[in-house]
Amino acid sequence: MDNGATMHLAVSLFAGTADPSPEPEFSRLAGFVQKAEAAGLDMVFLADSVPASSNDAASRQMPFEATTLLAALATVTTRIGLVAAASTIAHQPYNLARRFASLDIISHGRTGWNATMAQNPREAANFSRPEGFSSGDFRRRTGEYIDIVQGLWNGWDADALLFDQSGGRFHDPEKMHLLEHKGEFFSVRGPLNVARSPQDTPVLVLSGLRESDFDIAARTADVILLDDEPIENAQARYDELKRRVAACGRDPDAVRLLMNISLVTNGTAKPTIADSMEKGFRAKNCDGFNILMPAQLSALDDFVDLVLPALRLRGLFRENYRGTILRSHLGLAGGGDQ
Amino acid sequence: MTAGQMKLGAFLWATGHHIAAWRHPKAHVTAGIDIDHYIQLARTAEAAKFDMVFCEDAAGLREANVGIASQTSRSIGFEPISLLSALAAQTSRIGLVSTASTSYNEPYGLARTFLSLDHLSGGRAGWNLVTSASPIEAANFGSTGLRPHADRYERAREFAEVVARLWREKLGSGHDGQSFSVRDPLDLPRSPQGAPVMVQAGASDVGRDLAARTADVVFTAAQTFEEAKAFYDDLKGRMATYGREPDDIKIMPGVAPVVAETEAKAREKYEELQELIPDDVGVALLSSYLSISDLWRYPIDGPLPELPESEGMKSRQALVIEQSRRDNLSIRQLARHFAGARGHWRIVGTAAQVADELQARFEGGAADGFNVMPSYFPGELDAFAKLVVPELQRRGLFRTEYEGRTLRDHLGLKRPA
Repeated sequence: MDNGATMHLAVSLFAGTADPSPEPEFSRLAGFVQKAEAAGLDMVFLADSVPASSNDAASRQMPFEATTLLAALATVTTRIGLVAAASTIAHQPYNLARRFASLDIISHGRTGWNATMAQNPREAANFSRPEGFSSGDFRRRTGEYIDIVQGLWNGWDADALLFDQSGGRFHDPEKMHLLEHKGEFFSVRGPLNVARSPQDTPVLVLSGLRESDFDIAARTADVILLDDEPIENAQARYDELKRRVAACGRDPDAVRLLMNISLVTNGTAKPTIADSMEKGFRAKNCDGFNILMPAQLSALDDFVDLVLPALRLRGLFRENYRGTILRSHLGLAGGGDQ
Repeated sequence: MTAGQMKLGAFLWATGHHIAAWRHPKAHVTAGIDIDHYIQLARTAEAAKFDMVFCEDAAGLREANVGIASQTSRSIGFEPISLLSALAAQTSRIGLVSTASTSYNEPYGLARTFLSLDHLSGGRAGWNLVTSASPIEAANFGSTGLRPHADRYERAREFAEVVARLWREKLGSGHDGQSFSVRDPLDLPRSPQGAPVMVQAGASDVGRDLAARTADVVFTAAQTFEEAKAFYDDLKGRMATYGREPDDIKIMPGVAPVVAETEAKAREKYEELQELIPDDVGVALLSSYLSISDLWRYPIDGPLPELPESEGMKSRQALVIEQSRRDNLSIRQLARHFAGARGHWRIVGTAAQVADELQARFEGGAADGFNVMPSYFPGELDAFAKLVVPELQRRGLFRTEYEGRTLRDHLGLKRPA
């Protein structure tokens, strides 16, 4: 657990501006994530956008869908958190809950799901929903969807698996729970056919929030990603979100608010960046930052070699990982003492 | 690729294909939560030059009765696409094939996910199409009952067609059909092998037509040479209707071998497993293959009752009934028999005996290869790799080195235009 004295740091990969490289794309990305792990960052976000505009060659992304990429990256890293975006339009909730529960076991408790509250207007048309959803429907549907996923993740108690070979009892049927969800948009009986997550539940990261989404986020999220705002607005937003978290009966520290910032590549940006991060963090604008970065080793090198040492020198970022699971990096409860 | 050589799949399933595998002292009981176990299995299969590893799937529990389910290891396990993506980074040559349902997915998302697996693995991915027959799965997707068999296959046909067009970059102005609509092409580059391999397993009449039209590989269950040969000839005979060559499909029946240095040891190993099956588990498993729920009402040492044709797995049901009549088996005998091999072909014996049987079906024109279903892991995959594969290689029936890089290369399949 941490006491909030140090910030949380994530990097968010986007492609399109990646260096042309003869190296296979996966090896290059693996090198990037391993470097972020060596630097001790909390987590890497893997984007997964279905094209906003199919003609926009510059925004073409890495040749991987994010959850499959996460699984492969999990086998070549050991400590860093791995968070994949996955759309509530593209997946049925049962399938998505399974995928992420499985990823969390593959990664030994380092997985997060990044769900967005913002509807991609083009996406539904590729999933047999050419009419899309109204914003109100989309919000209610997403809230219900998240409840189902988190409910399914809790379907197996931590001590449900017995592995009792001679007694012939693989699991304790009393410790497996049906979900029996019947809602406005979905009905899902459960349980999940994947074991309980090493973190109890994978980390839920919500992004794309408008103020009307704050209640859903306060009730369900472990991490909220927020866009950069002028300092007064950001402070007010931070206080409001934490207030709503408390109103849901949750510890305000049970949700980490990270601010998206862009890294200006090039050594001269160093003092500015470290200074503005310190200022925002000390002013309680956020609990940490998500640095948006092209998937280029040179960009990460700049951050790791120039900005991180400055933050560490000021006592604003921990020297090493304290635990092995993503929840422990983030100072969140869950997953026992791993 | 050598036309005279058989294809081999390593069908991975948690603790093993035998229903009581998890209780065997040499099985890895925590397989369903141990990724390193699976990485080891994939590497064993790759070192033995298998064409592919294969994972089947269901989006729900296998057994509705929780008391029965809790006596098997099949209620939990990895979700196969994430599993194979992890294996992709830890292997370099072997094919990676997973099952996914056309009833509970959308073609755009599924095509994109498998294409991503294909890129991660450098062209080694395959998709096994199933239509899902279980009401347990249906209840996880807002459905209260199964749709009739014909409807599921109509949806599957459209699904497979859209996926094939997306992979081949032939979507044109999109798709607007009975069950699905898709507007954009995929946002990922073309597959390193032209398109991921398409696998099917349905053996009913409508399933065979769908396979003849779209499949690259067909998995099947056949107990006897005659059944296997009849299926093989029928399916290959349907190919011309769709403008395809017989060799465009590889037919790979499941085989559940129990192999040891001597026949006596192999029998002993098999009996040891059979003894571990609780009667109620065996009967429940048999019931699910027969798509009926009240088999337990009948005397366990009596014959199988008369059964109505079900909306579930038609072909599997017919297979079970035929065998019970042919061999005059009681419910208990049939239950144990099916629990052991799940309706697939069982061979118990030495490496030479197993190789003889495989060779006879392969050379007799009843199979292009086999999907190997080890009884328990890792021991029985190790035994097949160590004993049977070298025997097949000695006979010139199986490769000693991979000929190419992609799954299509291994299988000798054309690269789609």
